[in-house]
Amino acid sequence: MLAYIIRRVFQSLVVLLVVGLVAFSMFRFVGDPIDNMLGQERTQADVERLRTQLGLDQPFPVQYYKFLEQAVQGNFGISYRQSRPVSEIIAERAPATLELAAVSGLFALGLGIGLGVFTAIRRDGIASNLIMSLSLVGVSLPTFLIGILLIYVFSVELDWLPSFGRGETVAVGGWTTGFLTPSGLKALILPAITLGLYQMTLIMRLVRSEMLEVLRQDYIRFARARGLREKSVNFRHALKNTLVPVITVTGLQLGAIIAFAIITETVFQWPGVGLLFINAIQFVDIPVMAAYLMLISVMFVGINLIVDLLYFAIDPRLRIDGRH
Amino acid sequence: MRTTLAIAATLIATAAHAETFTWAGNTDPQTMDPHAVNSAPVLGFLNNVYEGLVRRGKDMTIEPALATSWEPIGDGEGWRFILRQGVKFHGGQEFTAEDVIFSYERASSEQADTSSWFAPVSEVNMVDDYTVDILTTAPNPIFPDSIANWMIMDAGWAAENGAERPAKDAENYATLNANGTAAFQLVERQPGLKTVLEPFAEWWGDAEHNITRTEFTPIQNSATAVAALLSGDVDMINPVPIQDAGRIASRDGVKVIQGIEARVIMLGFPHQAAELKYGADAGQPNPFADAKVRQAVAHAVNVPAILQTIMRGNAEAASQLVSPAMRGYSSGLAERPAYDVEGAKALLAEAGYADGFSFGLKCPNDRYLNDEAVCQAITGMLAQIGLKAELDAMPVRNYWPELREDNFDMYLLGWSPGTFDAEHPIRFLASTPNEEKKLGSWNFGDYSNARVDELLPMIQSEIDDAKRQGMLDEVTQILQEETAYVPLYVQPLVWGAQENIELTQRPDDFFILRWVTVN
Repeated sequence: MLAYIIRRVFQSLVVLLVVGLVAFSMFRFVGDPIDNMLGQERTQADVERLRTQLGLDQPFPVQYYKFLEQAVQGNFGISYRQSRPVSEIIAERAPATLELAAVSGLFALGLGIGLGVFTAIRRDGIASNLIMSLSLVGVSLPTFLIGILLIYVFSVELDWLPSFGRGETVAVGGWTTGFLTPSGLKALILPAITLGLYQMTLIMRLVRSEMLEVLRQDYIRFARARGLREKSVNFRHALKNTLVPVITVTGLQLGAIIAFAIITETVFQWPGVGLLFINAIQFVDIPVMAAYLMLISVMFVGINLIVDLLYFAIDPRLRIDGRH
Repeated sequence: MRTTLAIAATLIATAAHAETFTWAGNTDPQTMDPHAVNSAPVLGFLNNVYEGLVRRGKDMTIEPALATSWEPIGDGEGWRFILRQGVKFHGGQEFTAEDVIFSYERASSEQADTSSWFAPVSEVNMVDDYTVDILTTAPNPIFPDSIANWMIMDAGWAAENGAERPAKDAENYATLNANGTAAFQLVERQPGLKTVLEPFAEWWGDAEHNITRTEFTPIQNSATAVAALLSGDVDMINPVPIQDAGRIASRDGVKVIQGIEARVIMLGFPHQAAELKYGADAGQPNPFADAKVRQAVAHAVNVPAILQTIMRGNAEAASQLVSPAMRGYSSGLAERPAYDVEGAKALLAEAGYADGFSFGLKCPNDRYLNDEAVCQAITGMLAQIGLKAELDAMPVRNYWPELREDNFDMYLLGWSPGTFDAEHPIRFLASTPNEEKKLGSWNFGDYSNARVDELLPMIQSEIDDAKRQGMLDEVTQILQEETAYVPLYVQPLVWGAQENIELTQRPDDFFILRWVTVN
């Protein structure tokens, strides 16, 4: 068990280092940050001076090494665009993304499981057929289109919800939250739906097919034959057995929600790390891009590691196989 | 009595609410430091918070701000500025000549991005508390015009907070905080989120606005910005995407405000390159070195059609490197080459390219309004005279490095003169590149004309306006005759606002809050 964990942690570290190396080798193709940092009246001498000052004249492995050296000490450098420490900027922006991800994750999970069960039990009803067809829209429409559509319906035409931003936020310690004000809660609705819609349909379809599978099993038939109530059969026996794959997928999708919040954040001008990353690309803000990419890869690697370890703990078959 | 008070209180409350003004732009000013970055979003925003010795009025003319008057010293040795007395910074400090000297040192330091404004300055002297002499190496008639965006910072405040110099690679107090003298003071700054300004009660001028509080939010996605305006979440947006202007104008309760910007969009050529670099004819001798070929291009591009379709009638054709709103514009040379396919073909034949040739056209896709669409249209128009352009459009962050490496056969460029004077593009675009003299730094095609190079220093030091204009006209004529560039159009400026907002649109795209009234 211990050897397994050590091996997995070591593999994760290698993955992280490789991600960083690839990222740094790509940065020079993103563009030249100096042009954005200096105005149109700059001279070539200004350009060269700033390039040397920022260490951009060095080959990328050297730049990468310097980044790593600083990063292990918790220092991610100074943003080219904002002239402020990157760690401070990311800490400022992270609450917005995490709150949005949490709400849309709950939305996806709650509604996804509910609708999945419903469409499995009433598999031939008009309502479930309608839901199934509509869910196709959810998976096939691109996120930005859904976002713009929601904005036009609910902000411009109906004027119920704000068209952009987080509304009023309250600072609790270093964490700004939108959960405590009415405008903050209202501002969460449209972005959370936009971000969670794909995951919701995914979970719904997964739950539905798992349910259909389980409902055909012998033990369900026996349960029915024993005269157990329909509700008890569906939820206590059937749903419980469908949840293992659902939880696995949800865990992995949580990472995706945070990483792919970029588009939703851009459409709704949601001040999270995704929007920060888009800005950083446009400005070739290398320190911010590097920190963001490392953070996201740490998150993905971390989630995968936890999932692997959970399998190991939950599934006895894996352990037996491991001894061979 | 109590009811009256209650009513009065309600009235005040509603009035105060009505005068809170929120606006959105597509770029967040990246810093609150007026000397750290020389870019329009930053300088435009900070013009509401900081002031210079002089400022620009609604029609771009220079008017007194922190200096009440100025006059040339001796025979063009420099300029004497008489400072306004009794001016206070937002932090309560007194404004004196010391702050001017400090701001000069700060804005002209190596770490500042504004140092090029002070290239002609040799010395700045404090005569007394309210008089400053700025000496120049040569007579400089437009010096007061060139420092309208040089903003004055309090020396004591900067020293107290360790912000004596701007910084690019370190944290600086002045990046997030501001202490100017202008009509509005910075109340709250959350980078990328919102910036709150409130009127400064002790401002020296008479307030024309009726705003009690303003909030700026960046909204990058243009569709979201339009939605925010239409839903009433913001009072004003800048810019409005050209394709949405008509839709907004037709809605009740909102309006579109249009004007033209100071930026001229043009085509540039490699003048010195030996060979073509792109397309099927790569490696062949460079045809654009021949003025006839460049003229053919000028006649082949149907500018009115571009303005009508891509710019939806919002832009104005350009004949020279500056727009008519700029000082030194050559009004006698306002005619641009007519759209004439046959004439263009004849010119090509004369130059020995009757069958045309293919080449590479470089274009940015996120720098100017609809830039890529304009380049596509140009590609189609050039095809009519047998010039097959291979279009390569890219984000601006990749674009400048490509141009600097001479990787183009033709390119699109926009130029907005920082001094609002016709001398500016001559210095940057038409002078023979010279690193040491800081000339021609954006002249990617290495255009070179001895007479233009000779005239530039004379223009820069000519005090007599008529003589100066004569020389500017001569340069314009040379550039037109040789078709050094093909000026296409002056970029439009399109803002959107709620119907009850009165504002003034300035050609430099600066949004000045003290000219806003909320009805």
